[in-house]
Amino acid sequence: MNCRKAEKLLLRSIDGRLDERAQGLLARHLEACQACRKAEKEYRSMFNLLKDGRDAAPLPRFWERLEPRLREETELVPLLFWERWSLRAIPVFLALVILLGGFLFFAPQAREMSQSTTLLLENRDPLSETRTLFEADKPETRTMMLMFASLDDKAPLRRPTP
Amino acid sequence: MEEKQLVKLAQEGSPQAFEELVTKYQPKVFSMALSFTRNREAADDLAQEIFLKAYLALTRFHGRSEFGTWLYRISMNHIKDFLRKKGRAKEVPLDDVCELAFSDKEQTEKAELERETEVRRALVRRHVESLPEKYRVILTLRDIQGLAYDEISRILRLSPGTVDSRLHRARRMLRLKLAPCFTEEGGVHELSQS
Repeated sequence: MNCRKAEKLLLRSIDGRLDERAQGLLARHLEACQACRKAEKEYRSMFNLLKDGRDAAPLPRFWERLEPRLREETELVPLLFWERWSLRAIPVFLALVILLGGFLFFAPQAREMSQSTTLLLENRDPLSETRTLFEADKPETRTMMLMFASLDDKAPLRRPTP
Repeated sequence: MEEKQLVKLAQEGSPQAFEELVTKYQPKVFSMALSFTRNREAADDLAQEIFLKAYLALTRFHGRSEFGTWLYRISMNHIKDFLRKKGRAKEVPLDDVCELAFSDKEQTEKAELERETEVRRALVRRHVESLPEKYRVILTLRDIQGLAYDEISRILRLSPGTVDSRLHRARRMLRLKLAPCFTEEGGVHELSQS
């Protein structure tokens, strides 16, 4: 067995994880090898010093000091949740504003409604006035009324001056 | 009351149940923090923060591992973060410590021996701190905290084989670092008087 292998076995032995057969092999190597005996002593002293101080007593009143912090944190959790999500909400809100702005900018402008459309939306008959004209008794009166009605709707036409 | 029940009650918001869990695990968590910080106040602060973290994360504990393992994992992660922020490993000039630890061989009085042992213990700890993080963590968990191999394997999420080989390397590195401080005879009397 070489020293490297012996060192592995030695550490396992100190850990109490070595079977009897390997323990025997290690013991024989240690008897013959001074360097490994020295290593064993060094390891054992190193472990002793590492283990010391393991049982240091904690500071008193641990729970009494912890409990108010737990309560405080629990109260803060909804706020923290909002804080975290509000940060994410800002870009989402900005994106929505941009989308809405874009839609309003590029969407076709609503046309002005014609008189007939307005009348239809108001659930009134757009032909009622015309019908009155056509129902007039005398054809002359009807013609005159039609002429005046057309003059009301349109801007006065000027005859081209010769 | 069984631990699983305590955990369930704590998850439902019972402060008494969580207090029992804290009482049970506080010494171990404190000791773990202390072995990395070597300062009682800092270790106490860390332990408080660890339990605070655990309390806030309690709803995410689904019982796939033991509560203790889950808590130690939180502890380890929190301690690692703390150490990274502090960067303590670079603070100590090791050569000076070595000098201080082994200069007065002739002192034989009991009080002096105790002081010497304390200084040597500090020396070993400082050398542990100078190890790369992964070796330092595993060595602390096993050789200072005395955790079992399988527990370390669960806490660090490493295979048992990796735990074994990494621990072996860590111990070897530490011994080599301490080599100049050991005596010719093996250093037993110099290092382990206590």
